[in-house]
This record gives sequence, C-alpha cells and structure tokens, in this order.
Amino acid sequence: MRVHVELNGVPQYLDVAPGEPLLSLLRRVGLKSVKEGCDAGDCGACTVLVDGRAVRSCLMVAPQVQGRKVTTLEGLGTVDDLHPLQEAFLETGAVQCGFCTPGMILVAHELLSRNGDPTADEVRAAISGNLCRCTGYVKIVDAILLAARWKREGKWR
Amino acid sequence: MRPSKVRRFHFARDVEEALSLLAAYDGRGSLLAGGVDLLRSPPASLEGLISITRIGLSYVNETRGAPAIGATTTLTDILERERARTYAGGVLREMLGQVAVPPLRNMATLGGAVVSAHPWADIPTALVALGAEARWQADREEQAPMEDLYGGAFRGIFRRAVLVEVVFPPWDGAFAYEKVSRTRYDIALLNACCGVGLDDGVIAWARVAVGATPDRGERLPWAEEALVGEKPGEKRWKEIRALVEGQIEVGDDRRASGAWRRSVAGVLVARALSRASARAAR
Amino acid sequence: MAVETRRRGAVGQSVRKVDGPALACGKPVFTLDLDLPGTLVGKILPSPHAHAQIVVIDTSEAGRVPGVRAILHHGSVPRIPYTTAGQGWPEPSPYDTVLFDTKVRFVGDRVAAVAAETEDAAEEALGKIRVEYKVLPAVLSPEDALAPGAPMIHDEPDADGIYDAQRNIAAAVDIPVGDVAAVLAASPVRVEAACEIPYSQHSAIEPHCVIAYFDDAGRLVLRSSTQVPFHVRRIVARILGLDPARIRVVKPRIGGGFGSKQEVILEPVAAALALATKRPVRMAYTREEVFVASRTRHPMRVTVKLGADRTGALQALDMEVLSNTGAYGTHALTVLSNVGSKTLPLYNKAKHLRFHGKAVYTNLPVAGAYRGYGATQGYFALEVAMDALAAELGLDPIELRVRNHIQAGETSPIFEKIGEGREGKPQVVRSCALPQCLRIGAEHIGWREKRGQRHCDGPWTYGVGMACAMQGSGITGVDMAAATLLMQDDGSLRLLVGATDLGTGSDTILAQIAAEELGVPVDRVLVYSSDTDFTPFDTGAYASSTTYVSGNAVLRAAQDVRSQILDVAAGALGERVADLELADGMVRSRRTGKALTLKDIGHRATYVVDQKQIAATASFTCPESPPPFAAFYCEVAVDRETGVVRVERFVAAADCGVAIHPQGAEGQLEGAVLQGIGHALCEEMWFARSGRCVNAGFFDYKIPSALDVPHIEAILVPSEEPTGPWGAKSISEIGINGPLPAIANAIYDAVGARLVRAPFTPERVLAALRAAGRG
Repeated sequence: MRVHVELNGVPQYLDVAPGEPLLSLLRRVGLKSVKEGCDAGDCGACTVLVDGRAVRSCLMVAPQVQGRKVTTLEGLGTVDDLHPLQEAFLETGAVQCGFCTPGMILVAHELLSRNGDPTADEVRAAISGNLCRCTGYVKIVDAILLAARWKREGKWR
Repeated sequence: MRPSKVRRFHFARDVEEALSLLAAYDGRGSLLAGGVDLLRSPPASLEGLISITRIGLSYVNETRGAPAIGATTTLTDILERERARTYAGGVLREMLGQVAVPPLRNMATLGGAVVSAHPWADIPTALVALGAEARWQADREEQAPMEDLYGGAFRGIFRRAVLVEVVFPPWDGAFAYEKVSRTRYDIALLNACCGVGLDDGVIAWARVAVGATPDRGERLPWAEEALVGEKPGEKRWKEIRALVEGQIEVGDDRRASGAWRRSVAGVLVARALSRASARAAR
Repeated sequence: MAVETRRRGAVGQSVRKVDGPALACGKPVFTLDLDLPGTLVGKILPSPHAHAQIVVIDTSEAGRVPGVRAILHHGSVPRIPYTTAGQGWPEPSPYDTVLFDTKVRFVGDRVAAVAAETEDAAEEALGKIRVEYKVLPAVLSPEDALAPGAPMIHDEPDADGIYDAQRNIAAAVDIPVGDVAAVLAASPVRVEAACEIPYSQHSAIEPHCVIAYFDDAGRLVLRSSTQVPFHVRRIVARILGLDPARIRVVKPRIGGGFGSKQEVILEPVAAALALATKRPVRMAYTREEVFVASRTRHPMRVTVKLGADRTGALQALDMEVLSNTGAYGTHALTVLSNVGSKTLPLYNKAKHLRFHGKAVYTNLPVAGAYRGYGATQGYFALEVAMDALAAELGLDPIELRVRNHIQAGETSPIFEKIGEGREGKPQVVRSCALPQCLRIGAEHIGWREKRGQRHCDGPWTYGVGMACAMQGSGITGVDMAAATLLMQDDGSLRLLVGATDLGTGSDTILAQIAAEELGVPVDRVLVYSSDTDFTPFDTGAYASSTTYVSGNAVLRAAQDVRSQILDVAAGALGERVADLELADGMVRSRRTGKALTLKDIGHRATYVVDQKQIAATASFTCPESPPPFAAFYCEVAVDRETGVVRVERFVAAADCGVAIHPQGAEGQLEGAVLQGIGHALCEEMWFARSGRCVNAGFFDYKIPSALDVPHIEAILVPSEEPTGPWGAKSISEIGINGPLPAIANAIYDAVGARLVRAPFTPERVLAALRAAGRG
C-alpha cells in the first residue's frame, strides 16, 4: 500500500507493506539514525517525532503515519550545519558511543518545544524512556539544559 | 516486532465500520489505537489492523462534574488536560505520571490500558478504586463498572467490541496513588489507590484498591468498611496498615514474594489514605 | 622516566570528539548502517534445553523454505576447539567451544544457523529444523556443579585447557603469601564478609552484529561491532581454516561494548554462512539473544576475611571466590585471577594474604569479560569487609583506608604473584593520588556532617557510605599496541591505530596525544582506526588499556615523526636541529628566528628535496600496568517500611593521572558508576527451573534510567604517571567497582543492616532490616 507522509519536511508517497514496522521503513529509505536497540519499545533508540511527539518507531506500523509529519535526526541538522541541540550534545560531551544519541536529541526536541525553561528534574523525566548505557546521563542533562538556554537567548535559528 | 502476516491496514471511519471489519476478520484482525501492547508482541495470526484513532474517540469531556475520557485519548493528552489533572485530588495525574515513559505515554491510550489490563499495571488499580465505568459498543451500546468487568470475562467482550470511553464518577473527597517498582520506569511490584471523603472530621466514605499483588488491582471492601465513620489520622492509618497486612490475599511471582507484598501492601494503603485524607481536608 | 613538563596544548583540553559531529547527526556509521546489495540474513537456532545431546538434526524441510540459502550445523562445519575470548595469543581461556557442537550446554546455546533472503524466511526455516535431543540432567548452580556425582558439562575429549573437566572446574587458583590462617587466628580483630553478585548483562544499547562480505579481490571482510578486530581475524581464520591474509576485519563506530564485544561470537558464524553462500550475510542478535547468548558478568560469591590489630593495621587478608562461568570457560581463569590481582594490592599493609578460588561450569548463559573484570565482584566483598572492620574497631572508615592503602613508591607481592592467567610481574606504584581522592570526596559528600547521623524524614532514613578501588592500565607483559603516523604534503597528519574506540573517545584522545607532541591543533590529525587491512596491530579495547598502551604507541610514533620534521626543517633552514623548536604548527629557530610552517615542510619533503614520506610506526608493550585509584562516596535514603533504596548523591573522585580529555574521562567515570548503581539496585537475570532466562529484555531486566540515578559527581584528581603518555593512566573501568560496596555501606550507616547479596531490591533490604532487628 502507499502512504503519504511528510518525511523530514518533504511530502512524499512511500510504498509500504501494511505490517511493516515504521522503524524498518525509515531505515529502508536510508534514515539510518533510527536505531534498533530492543525491538520492544523499551530502549528508545528508535525514537522519532510524529507530529512533533516522540514515539517508538519499533511499535508502529508504517500506515499509521499516513498524512502525518515524521521527523528523524536527519531532519534536524547536518555535520556542516548542526542543530543547536546537536551542538549542545557535542559541547557538553553528551555523545559517547552515539547509539542512543538520535533518540535522546529527538525527545529533547519535543521537551523544548513544549517547555523552554525545563529544570534538570524535568529533563531527567523527559529522557527517562531513553536508555543510555555509556554516560551516566550527567552530560546529556547538561546538553539539554544548555540547548534550552541557547533557545531562550534567541540563539536557535 | 514484525507482524509479518498482516495483509491489510484500515482506517475505520466510525465505530460501526470498525466493528464490521473486526467481525469480517473473524479473530484474525485487531483494533489498533496506540499499538503499544499489540505491536510489542503481535499474535502470529494477525492479518488485519483496524485503526480506530481517527473515529473521534480522543477527548476529555466533562459529565456530572467528572471527566469522561475517550478510549483513544493518549496518556499524554490526559496528563495535559486540566480537568483530568485536577479530578479526585489529582490522582489521575499522579498515577499516569508513573505509567511507562514519555514516548510510550505519547502513544499509549487509556482504552488500550483498560483492554490490556495487565495484572501489574497502574491504570486498572486506579480505575477500580475510582469506580470508573467503561462504555463500549458491540451489538449495542453497553456500560459497566470496570470492577465488574475485571471480575468477569472482559477479554471476551473486547474481542468483539469497541471501547468508546471511560466515565469517571464525581467524588466529594480525594484519592492518592502509591507504587513501588524496581526503577522509576518499571511496572509495579505493588501498587495502591485509595480515596477518602470527609464529613465533619469523620470518614464518610473510603475506597481502597491494591494491585500487582501479583494479580490485577482489586478493592478491599473490608478495609473500606473499617474506615467509614472513623476519624482520619496516624492512629487510624496504622490500624488499617495492620488490618491490610493481616487480611490481604497476595502471592509470589518472580518480581516479589508474597511475604514482602503482604507487609508492603499495608504500608502503601496507609500512605495513600494519609495523603488522600490530607487532600480531601483542603 | 621523568615526564617532560612543557606547556600543554592539546592534552588536557576537552576538544570536540573527532567522530562527534557524525554521531550527533545520525550518520550511517554503525555496523548495520551499511546496505550491500544481495545481503542475506543470518539467524541462529537456539537450544531449548539446558543440557542435551543432539541425536539427530534434520534440515530437509527447512532447506525447502523459499529463500533459504544455507543451513549449517555440527555436521557441516569442521570441528575446531577454540575459545570465544578475544584475548592475545596464546589465550589463557580453555578451548572448550566449537562452532556447532553435538551437545548443547545452556538454553540459547547455538544448534544451527540459517542464511536466507529475508528475516521471515530465516525464521521460518529455523522453525522447520527438526532436532532430536537426548536431554541430560542440568547443573544450574555452582554448588551443584561441584557436588559429587554432578553431570559433567564438558566431557568432549578434544577440549583443551580446562582445569578439571571431570569436576566441572574451568579454572582454579590458590595463591598464598605468608601464613594467612595462623595470622588471622592470632589477629585481635577479625571480620568476614561474603558477598554475592548474580547474573547481570552489559546491556550495550547496540546489540551484537556483523556483516560478512567479500571484497573485489574475493577476500572475506567482517564489518563487526567488536572490541578486538585483530583477535577476530586470528580466531576466525583458525576456526574456518582460512589464510588470515584473506580476512579483513573492520570495526566501524560501535554502540557500546563494556566487555561483551571482547568476544568472538557472531563473526565465525556469519563468515561460515558467507563462505557457504558466496553472498554477503548480516547477523544481529535480538535483545533477547544479547541477554542469553552473548556474555554476562561472572556471578560470584566472594568471601573476605580480614585480621587487624587494634589500631586498624591489617595483618591478614584471605579472599575466596566461587565464580560461575556458565556453559563455557571464556575469561574464566583471567576474571577469577583479576578478582584478587586488582583488589589485594590496594591494602598492601597486610603481609599475610591468600587468594584462592574456582570458576565452575554450569548449564547457564556464558559469563565473560565485563567492565571491572572480576575487580567489581572483589571490591564488593573487600570494601564491605573493610566497613565492617571499621565498625568493629570504632574507627572512621576513611581513616581505616588511610592506614592501610598502598602509596606511591610502594609495591605488593600480588603484582608478581597474579598475572593474566599466569604469574605477573613485580611493579612499584609510581603515582597515587588516593589520599587526595579520599579527602576531596569526603568534603564533597559532607562526610563529617552526615556520617552516623541516621537523619530521618518520615519513613526515610539517610546514610553515607564509602569505598575505594584501584584497577590497572593494560595487561602487563601481554598487551601490545602500534600506531602509524604520517605527515601529508599539506602538513596535516594521518594517524592510523589498531586501537578500538567503542564509544569511549579513544580516537580523539589518541589524536590529542599526537597533536601535543607535534604542536598542532587536534583537527590537523585525521584518525583512522581498527581496520586490520589498514591499521597496525593492537590487542584491542579491554583491560583499561587504550589510553596507556595505545597512547604510548602513538606518543612514540609522534616523537619519531617530530624528529623527522625537525631534520627536514634543519636542512631547509640551514640550522642545527638542537636550535629548533616545534610549536603552533611552525618550526622556529631559537637562534635566528627563522621559521617554516608544517605545510612548507610537508611540501618540501614530498616534492622538493630529499623526497620522502615523513612517517613512523611505533609499538608499545606494557611492562607495567599503573593503577588508577578512586574513592567513592554516596548518600542513600532507605525506606524502612518498603525496603526501597534511593541513591541521593554519588561522588566519585578518581586519579587517572593526567586526564588527556577531562570531559571524556568524566564521562567514563560517570557511566561506569551508573552501571555500578544498576548492579547495586536493580540488575539481575532470573532463571526458570529449566535454566531458561525469564527476563531477557529491558522490560523486566531493569537498567537505570535518568530518573534512577542522581547527578553523579565525577571528580578527576590529577597525578602524573611517569610511564604514561603525558602522565595519563586508565579511567574506563575503575568507576564500576565503587557503587556496590559504597551503597551497601551507606545502607548500613543509615539503618544498620548489611546488604551482601546484590541487587539490593526492596525485598532484600526489608529482609535485611528485619534480620538486623530494625524492620
């Protein structure tokens, strides 16, 4: 079947199998930032934004995004033109192995779109569904608070 | 998860179409809302998915001074609605904030939680304590208290019905929710939801439910009866704690022993009552 | 061996990770992000039994599933015993594994493998392989393994290096120093602690995965999520009877390892399937398979007996270990040895020591290398025992450590007695900032104000606890790393290292070490790592080795390149080398002020005069393994009514020498502490009576989320390690040794109950409270 979706800002038609996991679809079309860590909704590595909300792409089938906006990390910034969240993750040392990073940045993006001045506890709650095994979360929390500050200071594009 | 045998995906236009599609698949189709439970481990025989997210069942309304929540309303949406947040002393907010994690709350729906009704889940314990009722459509529209449904063969009902909404009764008083788990995003090792109404400094009514025992949340009517007409306070909560510890039926599972559950059930009930009572007094 | 004390440029700066932007943008840099046309999916058929003989395998029906291209089992591959441990040659682990065996030894053991066009076809074929098993009695605990008449798990005649296969003992050690029994008996104060750690799993977020394919010349390429690419090449070649020269192993970015990828698990299977089909094959473990069929920490019971005089001076220390290695003995001996070798030297004032123990086989999942590598288990018991000794003596636990810990300039007989599965080498500790770590950590946590206060807030009681640890930096006499550094015609540098960055940031710090020597910004050093075709040898990323061992190799290569640069410059400027200095991308004469840029030098050497490639390859072996030290402090709150423990604060003060990249070093410490808190509070694999793991997933095996840990306070306390590159020692493992004992000791401070069985679940805490008469 064919679904119409706005993928990282580009409206497009995609041919999908009715039971194809959204995770598989996104990786199949080259969006490799979407990671498979558990395939059960537990780890958060496959997080994407659907209409601005962070969801688990392993627990959705492709047709569910019919008519909706899907954003993956590829839709935020590029190596030459980093998104402030990406910049903040690098600045604070929040990226260790980088496997959880795409999901972390996307949940942070959702948080900051709803709460421009979160406390550290609010950041921790927002990322509590995204498991990281490298960092101890300290620098990830720092990164999100830094990006929030930049946003308040008008430094986001 | 790979529901690899799924051949068709439908967006139902209304409840009737969802029901007729469901009937046509004759057990090989499933309604799909948040998908958190269904797509985590889809049945091998699943051939048709019938989305009910676009049939107008995502809402928080107010009836009789209490919320009625559409079945496909996500937990996040409920958490963000003022009416749902303040109802019964804020217990829905308190409880839903401890269910799973934010991205799963963005997906999971109240209806999904009602229908899945995992024994370790938070939502059924709260719904039973709150006296919530389910309204569903099968051959006809029906409504029944969650407590009765969970006491009966509710899984059979929802294989052939669309849950429409959950209706909450108004309470002159307040509730509180308690949960113990291994991590903050874990399922409960034990949970409790208790409510109290006060009349002239005396407990006018009480609701006590305990879940993940390891069975699904159930009310403890004997504990409720022991509270009515009594004065709230530490002494009372201590007595109730001892009563619950002495009488509650609990069991072992791999997550916790019956012995631990027995002693902690009393603690959680006492704590929930204490906080509910303080809220009710405000 | 004095450290040069010149102004530092790149070293000590938290520069941007060299692979950071690609990772932050989600570029396709991980193993499975590569799509090759015609790739098959490989899957493994797991054993449903804990212990069984395979009587018959019938693949005829499975072979008829459309899309199936190959099925392998014991009948279709050569039988070559090996160890999956990715260790240097000769591996100290027993050769007790074959690619596919006629016997299965745990639920999840591999029976057969399938390659098919799609995952569905592979799954369907697995379901259609008919296996007839003769089920054998299973051994599900180390005690049962040692019981007389226990079933023999490794009865195959071709296994090699098992200590006592008849009695299910994979490895055993007994190392006495002095007369521990007599001195213990005569000690005025004695304590004993027996601490137990269950099965736990590394839980790297990226599951184990590999793609096997053939290059244009028909050579086998393994793109693998591994910590040990060079060992993979050597071991796969041997198992499959291939010429190693026909194998290339590439490690792209990898999503965490923590020791679980110091194992050669999927690579030989994927390679065999690729060889059988002449097609690319990709294999990835599911999360369930990662839990069951990759590797775990060795579950252990460690018993420590301490004898001291009344001033708290340790006199005797006995440590006994019962380690469960699971179905295979990978790392069985070395992890066992490390329990003692990384812990006992810390308290070198005790002159009478005994370290003894066994690692036994069971029909349970296979334990292997896991960050801490036995030291974590050892420190749990040792530091709980030290806390108990302090309590017995009425002495502050910090003071007890101060009176007994090793200092710079001192040694321990253990360094020489216990090595990597054999004797070690004598070693003197040259740098030790543990006294400062102890003091700074205590100040941060507020030790004086909080210790022993038992402050209560409703049902919550607060307490503080502490622990110390050391680790090593590489494996003495075993590890070797090499680096090649080249200067290009534009004056920029190319650094080729076999070292394996598994998310630790080693590519970045190795670039910093080279940049420091050559006086260039880090971004002038392009790093290419972990490719057996293009980078020089390195034993791999384990044993806290990379900064120290690989870093020293890089430093030596850079020193050589530096002298070549100065030679070229001397010729060009008509100056003597002795008058030249290299800094800020320039060579300058101190005498005349004449200068050349590195670009000028690169251009001249490449195109103009005495043309040559400025380049050097250098190696470093590990004559000693300087230990990092750390002091850990935590504050907990214990709910006396439910047994719930909250870690309110955690302070880790660590001496890793000079931190090359402070932010990265902090990240290592914070992450290790997080895993340790997981061990302490929630991580445990559970098994049914059948031997099947019943919580093989993050739904029921809980690892800490951001809400489960406090803001971990990592403090880097500097020292100068004279043998380290720019003064550096290791940092990656030590942090995981602290949380178990520090949290247990804090719980004791709060409520007077000793927790000796991890994790400290509400149920265990409540039971301990009741046993202590405080519940």
